[in-house]
Amino acid sequence: MKRRALLIALWPVAVIAEPGLAQAVRERLQQPEWLRGDFTQTKKVPGFAKPLVSTGNFVAARGRGVLWRTLKPFASELRLTQNEIRATQGGQTSMRLDAAREPAVRLITTLMFSLLNGDVSGLADVFELTGSTKGASWQLSLTPKPGALQQVLKKVELEGDGFVRRIQLFEANGDESLIQLTGQRVDAAPEPGLFQ
Amino acid sequence: MSLEQTTRRLAGLWLVIVLACVAHNVWHWVVHKRMPVTDMLAMLPRDEQRPLAAQATQALADAGSRRVTVLIGGADAAQAQRAADAFLHSLGDDISARHRVADADSQAWLTLYTPVRAGLLSPQARARLTDAPTTELADQALAALYQPVGGPRVGAWADDPLNLFGQWLAERGQASRVRVQDGRLMLTDPDATDRHYALVLIELSGSGFEISAQRALQPRMDAAARAAEGQGAQVIRAGVPLFAAAAAEQAEREIHTIGLGSLVGIVALTLLAFRSIRPRLLVALSMAVGLAVAASVSLLVFGELHLVTLVFGSSLLGVAENYGSNYFSARQGLEAGERWAMLARQIPVVSLAMATTVIGYALLALPPFPGLRQIAVFSAVGLVAAFVTVLWWFPLLDGAGRMAPTRFAHWLGSRRALWPGLKARGLAVLLLVSVVLAGWGASRLRVDDDIRQLQSAPAALVAQQREFARLMQAPGLAQFFVVQGRDEQELLEREEALTARLRGMQLGAQAISDWLPSLRRQRADAALATRRAADMRPVLAERLGQPVASSASTQAALTPKAWLASPASEPVRAQWLGRLGEGQGTVVLLRGAESADTRAALAALKLDGVTWVDKVGEVSTLLGRYRQLMSAVLVLGFVLTWAALAWRFGRAAWRALAPTALACVLTVALLAIAGQVLQLFHILPLLILLGLGVDYGIFLLEQPGRHETRPFLSVTLAAASTLLSFGLLALSGTPALHAFGLTLLIGVFLAWLFTPLFMPQDPGSGS
Repeated sequence: MKRRALLIALWPVAVIAEPGLAQAVRERLQQPEWLRGDFTQTKKVPGFAKPLVSTGNFVAARGRGVLWRTLKPFASELRLTQNEIRATQGGQTSMRLDAAREPAVRLITTLMFSLLNGDVSGLADVFELTGSTKGASWQLSLTPKPGALQQVLKKVELEGDGFVRRIQLFEANGDESLIQLTGQRVDAAPEPGLFQ
Repeated sequence: MSLEQTTRRLAGLWLVIVLACVAHNVWHWVVHKRMPVTDMLAMLPRDEQRPLAAQATQALADAGSRRVTVLIGGADAAQAQRAADAFLHSLGDDISARHRVADADSQAWLTLYTPVRAGLLSPQARARLTDAPTTELADQALAALYQPVGGPRVGAWADDPLNLFGQWLAERGQASRVRVQDGRLMLTDPDATDRHYALVLIELSGSGFEISAQRALQPRMDAAARAAEGQGAQVIRAGVPLFAAAAAEQAEREIHTIGLGSLVGIVALTLLAFRSIRPRLLVALSMAVGLAVAASVSLLVFGELHLVTLVFGSSLLGVAENYGSNYFSARQGLEAGERWAMLARQIPVVSLAMATTVIGYALLALPPFPGLRQIAVFSAVGLVAAFVTVLWWFPLLDGAGRMAPTRFAHWLGSRRALWPGLKARGLAVLLLVSVVLAGWGASRLRVDDDIRQLQSAPAALVAQQREFARLMQAPGLAQFFVVQGRDEQELLEREEALTARLRGMQLGAQAISDWLPSLRRQRADAALATRRAADMRPVLAERLGQPVASSASTQAALTPKAWLASPASEPVRAQWLGRLGEGQGTVVLLRGAESADTRAALAALKLDGVTWVDKVGEVSTLLGRYRQLMSAVLVLGFVLTWAALAWRFGRAAWRALAPTALACVLTVALLAIAGQVLQLFHILPLLILLGLGVDYGIFLLEQPGRHETRPFLSVTLAAASTLLSFGLLALSGTPALHAFGLTLLIGVFLAWLFTPLFMPQDPGSGS
């Protein structure tokens, strides 16, 4: 009967470590319902001499999900919704996680949205936050709270102003990713069909 | 030697035997504190043709019968966990309950599988590696490398670019909805994913069907549930022990109400008829002796007693009422000195009555129901013991002096005169009416042997079980496959052949070989994965513009021994039967095999070493088979009884038998007309009706005159007592007992009503 979690499982704790900091960051951010933008991801993976660079665009819709479209060096799509996480290439599904079977799907989707959108209160549920503000810009250092997330992530660094501009992920397996976000647009027309 | 001297000697001898039996009972129940077995499965026929299937069923049932699963639901995970803590705290430490999972435990599966990951492929991955072009595989691997979120992955990308091991593990995870969250067993509602449940597993010591284990647990679980509910949580309990406890509780409640009702009724009847409690006390003594001797002999024969044997056997012993009742009806109005002459006259009559009943009961031992055999031995022995007590002890204990006939007894006995003796025309009319009723009944006759009809669990319990099944989506245990092989590897290969077929039928299977692939499969999968990885490597290097390290390939394979020794095998270990017959066996469980069509298709699957087991279906079929068998036994019983009667009454024997035969037919007809769906527990009591009804015929036919009050008094008192004891079972909430009681209620009344009609007009004038 006893089964083991195969995905990270997160336990929300509704305590914000530094309410002042969170408040300060939130005041600086625009957090639209629908956010579009472009990204450049530079990933350092142990075993590879050169970093892996990819570019593309993304859509983050509050309460709906995130679409991560890689264009270069080759096209692929990652769609995170409340019901599933699905990776596709050329219309073919290469990975699919179903929320009905894997409760962690919703948590991952929420986490991804929070990172892209700078949703501080969402992040404070699972991370210890420290950071600072300077003028219009801010930076946050996120350390996972004790729990399953610690087995996946060591640390996250966030920087931004009105938008999140820079995300640095330090994974437990040694992978390091730098994601730079540019060209964010708040006037993006809603596309409800995107996350059905 | 006179009858009196003989009786006195035999009475002394009987006293010694009875005391020995009482001592045996005290030793067994009081000194050793043994309890009757309450395991209902022990009452079902051991599957005589398919011992392997039975063994597999037994093993699965054993695994489940001690476990109660509790789901504690809250609006969020934290609330559920707080409530689970309250539950566990209230339950106490001495009860084996599992909820928290140590980190080491939750890592056990990685410790077991990571070293042998090379040979582990999910069916989809295997198909893809076999068919997909190398470029497509490379695209997939690269996408995973670039994406910010991937599937669950163990180790570095270069070790497993396609994340084959992660996919395999994810598929294992799908086997259950239970997850370890924050070091606890947790579950989310599949239809409302923000509703969380904490899972607590409680393991009882001993079989869940055993009363003592249930008794100890029930109040403490209730208190624990209240503690959890105090935290605003919802508590859902499921498991075999709960159903067993509910059934035992209901049986106990009914013994109290129905049993008390019939006791009061019978005592009142005796007081009215004899104006003395002595006859009732002596009849009670004869029954008590019957019970003690029956229990003792049954224990000696079977080694244990089943609760159902006690309930049914004691009921069947109620027929012994006839003998005591007959003794006092005959004794009434006689001086003490006349009792020996009376006894000499009565011995052959009562012996015949006893013999015909014992014939009926002994026939119960014919069908291979172990429970029925116990009941047959118990009731036949008890009946003989009660009979012997009446014969040897009553004349010495019935008190000196004349037993004055009471006015009520006289009035009751003289009611005999109200029945006309039917002549040919009257009988023809009765027969015609009966034929019409029988025809009507036959047209409405419905037979259904589905064992599920006999379930009578409380609605709340059934609702909780259903909710539990929805939340857990666990495979069913009522139908499954048993797989056998000469050795472990052949077994696993056969299982793999079976699961491949089941996947083709779009059925969810839970099989050991999914967790422990055969060595042949592990080798083939490892070879396939290594070959495709080698194909991909140059493509990946070219696309990435840098060399890709070759994955460290391992030759290690997972063996059954290592698997069984790891805590990671625990979720499905119950399906590993180990030694089965000549070789090794496992069970393959299914999801979504509920429809009759699917079950028929599964039953038709023919694969080496694979056996389909449909326990519900099989038990239902067996119940049906035994219902037919019992009907045949009943006919046989009538024939044997007729032979016994003919030996004493010659050509008039039919007069003693026909009323009961008619009552039998009409009872079935009336049950059918009343809309009862007939099954074994309607046919079984007809056999008792045969024993009882024929007694009435014998007693009346001995002195058939319409103005003979004693036989009719005896028969009426006996019938009334029977209706008060058996008939009241019709009030039972247990479907089997209800069917049993209702059949006897109608049958005994009709037999009593008809018997005087069939007596000859003039004493001794045959047909």
